[in-house]
Amino acid sequence: MRSLLLALVASLALALPAAAQDAAPPVAAASVQTGLAAVIAQNAAAIAKPSRQSIGPVIAALGQAGTGAPAFLQAWADKKLGARKADGAIFRVTKTADGYALADPATGADRGTAAKAEIAEIKPNAGVRGMIASALIQFQLSDPDPKQRLAALTTLARDGAAEHLAPLAASIEIETDPAIKAQKERLAGLLTIRFGATPVARVAAIEGFGADLGLDFRAALNPILASARRVFDAAPSGNVAAILTPGKPGFPEAEAYDLLVDQGLAPKRLSPADLRAALEAHLENGAVGGVPLADLSDPAQRETAYAALEAAGKVPAAATSAEVTAAVAAHRFADVYAEPDPTVTAAAKAALQSVSLKVGAMQGADLTLDALSLASIYFLAAIGLAITFGVMRVINMAHGEFITMGAYTGYVVQQFISDYTISIAVALPLAFAVTFAAGVAMERLVIRHLARRPLETLLATFGISIALQQLFKNIFGTQARPLTAPEWLDGAWVMNDIVAISYIRIAIFALACLFLGLFLVVMKRTRLGVEVRAVTQNPSMAASMGINPDRITMLTFGLGSGIAGIAGVAIGLFAKVTSELGADYIVQSFMTVVVGGVGNIWGTLAGATLVGGLQKGIEALNPANTLAAQTWMILFIIIFIQFRPRGIIALRGRAAGD
Amino acid sequence: MTQPMTQGFLSKNPSVLIFLGLLALFTLTVTVLSNAYGLDLVSTSMVKTLGKTLCLCLIALAMDLVWGYMGILSLGHFAFFGLGGYMIGMWLMVARSRDIVLASANGLPMTPQELNDAIAAQIFGVVGASEMPAIWALAGSLPAQLALVVLVPGLLALGFGWLAFRSRVTGVYLSILTQAMTLALALYLYQNDSGLRGNNGLSGLQNIPGLDWAGQDRLSVWFLWASALALGLGYLACAFTVSGKFGSVMRAIRDDEARVRFLGYPVEGYKLFVFTLTALIAAVAGALYYPQAGIINPAEVAPIASIYLAVWVAIGGRGRLWGAVIGAAFVSIVSTWFTGGRAPDLPLGFYTVKWVDWWQVLLGLSFVLVTLFAPKGLSGLVDGLAGLRPPQRRGAALGPDEGALLEKEARE
Repeated sequence: MRSLLLALVASLALALPAAAQDAAPPVAAASVQTGLAAVIAQNAAAIAKPSRQSIGPVIAALGQAGTGAPAFLQAWADKKLGARKADGAIFRVTKTADGYALADPATGADRGTAAKAEIAEIKPNAGVRGMIASALIQFQLSDPDPKQRLAALTTLARDGAAEHLAPLAASIEIETDPAIKAQKERLAGLLTIRFGATPVARVAAIEGFGADLGLDFRAALNPILASARRVFDAAPSGNVAAILTPGKPGFPEAEAYDLLVDQGLAPKRLSPADLRAALEAHLENGAVGGVPLADLSDPAQRETAYAALEAAGKVPAAATSAEVTAAVAAHRFADVYAEPDPTVTAAAKAALQSVSLKVGAMQGADLTLDALSLASIYFLAAIGLAITFGVMRVINMAHGEFITMGAYTGYVVQQFISDYTISIAVALPLAFAVTFAAGVAMERLVIRHLARRPLETLLATFGISIALQQLFKNIFGTQARPLTAPEWLDGAWVMNDIVAISYIRIAIFALACLFLGLFLVVMKRTRLGVEVRAVTQNPSMAASMGINPDRITMLTFGLGSGIAGIAGVAIGLFAKVTSELGADYIVQSFMTVVVGGVGNIWGTLAGATLVGGLQKGIEALNPANTLAAQTWMILFIIIFIQFRPRGIIALRGRAAGD
Repeated sequence: MTQPMTQGFLSKNPSVLIFLGLLALFTLTVTVLSNAYGLDLVSTSMVKTLGKTLCLCLIALAMDLVWGYMGILSLGHFAFFGLGGYMIGMWLMVARSRDIVLASANGLPMTPQELNDAIAAQIFGVVGASEMPAIWALAGSLPAQLALVVLVPGLLALGFGWLAFRSRVTGVYLSILTQAMTLALALYLYQNDSGLRGNNGLSGLQNIPGLDWAGQDRLSVWFLWASALALGLGYLACAFTVSGKFGSVMRAIRDDEARVRFLGYPVEGYKLFVFTLTALIAAVAGALYYPQAGIINPAEVAPIASIYLAVWVAIGGRGRLWGAVIGAAFVSIVSTWFTGGRAPDLPLGFYTVKWVDWWQVLLGLSFVLVTLFAPKGLSGLVDGLAGLRPPQRRGAALGPDEGALLEKEARE
C-alpha cells in the first residue's frame, strides 16, 4: 500500500514539470500570458489546494518562472492569495471592509475588487509553507537587505538541501558584506560535503575545513560516517566500515542471530517468557507434555516439556543453540556505511579524527578553566577557615554560616539599593563588616573560654552553627533568595564552541587572586602580620615580647570570618542563597584546609587547587554523576591524608607545634 | 591485704546494676501500659518512639566509649548505624517482596531466575532498574544478612581506623576525616545506581515477613524488648570494657596519648579496637532502629546526624556511660516534643515564639552553654545531688602556657 502511494507520488512528480513545459507554448500562443503568469494559470488548481505530497514540482516550476516569482511565493506563504470561485483564477488579495482588493498574481497590478463570497482564500498548511520558504531561499540569498540574507543563511544551516547548493554558490560571487560572504562560503562548504555532485568535490570540501572546531562541521561529517549492521550471504559488499566476527567482544553471537531474525533469515529463538506462555497454554491435568506442574520451576524440566510438545506437533519448532550457531556461521556480518563512496568516508574519518584530537585538547583547556574556577571558590571559602585554624588551632564549624551571612547581607543590600553594580560594591565591605563583628563576638563570648580545648570548641561552634542556620530560616524563609549580579557580569567569555567561561567565575577568580595578594601583604608587610605570625608560632614567647595574644586571636578570628562573608557574596552571585548555602561548601572547605596543611596560605591554595581540580577531573570522567565524583574525591582525600597527614605544605620544626 | 583481689565486676560498679534495674523497670512499665499486652494507655506509635529512643541510647553509649573515654571525637558513627539499618533493610525488602510476588503468582511455578527477576522488579522499579545488583546477592538469607549487619560496618571501621590511626591522624583532623567518611557514604548512597535505591532508600521495613499475624501493636513491644535487651547488653559490655585495666589505658590515651605510647602500650591497637567495637554497637543499634522507623534513606547517614550524636552525649555528660544514655534519651524525647508541635507557643507580646521554628535555635544555644558552663552535662546535676564537687580551680592563668597555675591554686 505504502509503496504504491510512493510510486504514485513519484510518477506525479516526474509528470508535472513535463506537463507544464509541454503545455506552455500553446497557452502562450493563445494569449498574452507568459512566464510566471502562465505557470500560475496552469497550476491554479494545485496552488489553490496545495498538498504536501504533490506540490513540490509546482513550487519548483514557480521558482524558475522568472521575475515576480519571489513576490508571488512570499504572498502564497503569507496566505495572501485567493482563488476566484467562478473560474479558479488566482489573485493576490487584500481584505477590505466589504470584500477583497484584487491584484495580479504575477505583476501585482491592480485588478479591481471582489465581494467576500466570490473569493476563497488560499491557506497552505505548515508543511507546504516550509517547502515554499525553502524555494524562496534562493531569492533571499541575493536579497538587497542583509537581514534577509542572514535569515536565509540561518534557514539553510538548519535544513539545507541539495538544490540550495547551486544558488548559494552563485550568490557568493555577488556578496558584498565580508562577514556574510564568509558565512556563505562556510555554508557552501558544509552543503558540498553533504550534497556535492562528485566525490572529488566533497573530499575537497572536507579537506578545506582542516581541523575546524565548529559543531556544524562535525554535524556534517557524522551522517557520512553513519553505518548500519548488515548481513551477507557471501563476502560483504558496499562501502564496508568494519567486518564483524560473531562471538568477538562488541558483537556477541546473540546479536548476530537477532540480526538474522530481523532480516527474516532465521526463525526466532524462544524467549523465557514465550516458553512460559507456551507451556501454560498446554497445561493439561496438572502436567505439561508429561511433566508435572510442580516440577516446572526447574528450567531443564521446562525444556523437556517443550520438547515433548514439539514432538507432539502442538507448538512450533524453536531454534536450538546448535541451529543458532550454524545459522550465524553461514552468514557474514559487516558494518556498512550508508555513504557509498569510500574516498568520502575515508576523508571524513580522517577529518573527524584530527578534529577530535583538537576537541580533546580544547576540552582539556575548558576543564582546566572549570577546575581553576572551582578552586578559586574553594579557596575563598576556605581561606578564613585556614587563618583561624592556623593561628588558633580551632575549627570553626560555624564558618559555613558566616558565608551564608555574607550572602544574605548582599541580598538585604539589594533590597535597598536597586543598582546592582553599586549594591555589590556596598555589599562586599558591608558583608565583611557584619561577619567580622559576628566573628569577634563569637571569639570573645565562646571560643576564648574554651581555649586549648579544640574538640569542645568544634562542638560549641557547631551549636552556634545550627542555631544560626535555623535563625536564617526563621528570618528569610526556606525559599531561595535572589542575589543578582550586575549586568556586565552576565554572559560568558566564549573562545570557541568548546571553551567558554562565565564572567562571574572570572570575577571570582580575580577576587580570589586579590585576597591572596592582600593576605600576603598583610602577613608579610604589616605590624599585625608579624604579630599574627608570632602568635601562631609560639603564643607564650609572643606574649613575652609584648604582644597581646588575646587581641591577636580576636583580630584573626574576625579577619577569617570577614573573608567568609565576602566569599558568601561571591558564591551567592551564582548559587541559590538559602540557609544551607554555607553548609554545602563547608566540608569541601575543611578538605581544602586539611589537604593543604595549616598555617600557610600557599598550602590552602594548593589544597583548593587539588580539591577543585580533582572534583572537576573526576566529573569529566563520569559527567552524568556529580555525586559519584564527590564520593571519589573524598575517598581520595582520606587516602591522601595517609601519606601526608599534615597536608601538602606542612610546617616543620618548632613551628609545627606538637 | 584486707581488700580481696577477687572483688566482682558488679560490686565494683554498682551503677551498672542500678542502670539495668531501671531499664528493666522501664521496659516492664511500658509493656504493662502498652496496647498489646496491658492497659492500652500508651499508643503503638509511642511504644515505637520509646523503642527507637532505646536504640539511640545504645549508639550514644558507643559514642561515649569512643569520645568520652578514648578522646576520639568521631563525627561518623551514624554511618555505621545507617549501614546496619541498610543491611537488615535489604533482607526485609527482599523477603517481603518475595511474599508479595509469590502471592500474586499464577500459572507455572516460577523458576529461581524468574522469581529473582520479579523480586528485583518489585524493589527497583522506583529507580527504573529491574536487575538485582551484586551487593544484594545474600539479601535473601536472614542469617547471612544478619552477619553482614556487623561485618560491613565492622570492616569499614576496621579499614578506616587502621588507615587513620596508623598515620597518627588525631584531634580535629580525625574528626574532619570521620565526617568526610560519612559524607562520602551518604553521597554514594544518594546515587540511584549505587544499588540501594538512591534517594528513595529502603521502605516498608516495619512489616516483618512471616510475622504479619502479630500486628504492629505486638511487634512494637517485641522490638522494644529487643532494643532494651541490646541496650542492657551493650551497657554491660561497655561497662566491662571501661572498668578494668583496659579502661585505664583508654582514659590515659584520652588524656595524654604520647605518654601512653612511651610507656609501651600499642596506642593504635587500643584505638582501633575501641573504634571498631563502637562501630559494631552502632550497627546493631541501627539494625534494631530502622525496622521500628519503617524507612531508611541516605539523609540518615548525612554528617549532621553524627554531629547530633555528639550533642546528645555532650549534653548528657561525657565520660560516664549513663550520662550518654540520659543525654540521648532526654534530647531526642524533648526534640520530638518540640518539633512535633506539641509544645505550647510562647507569646512575647511583640512576637510569638513557635517552638517548631525556634527549637533548633534553643538546642544550638543550650549546647553552647552546656559546653561552656557545664562540661559534665546533665550528669553534673546528679553529681550535685550526690554532693560531689570538683576542686575550685578558678581564676585567670598566671602564665600563657597550657597547664600554668591558676590564681586560686597559687594562693593556697
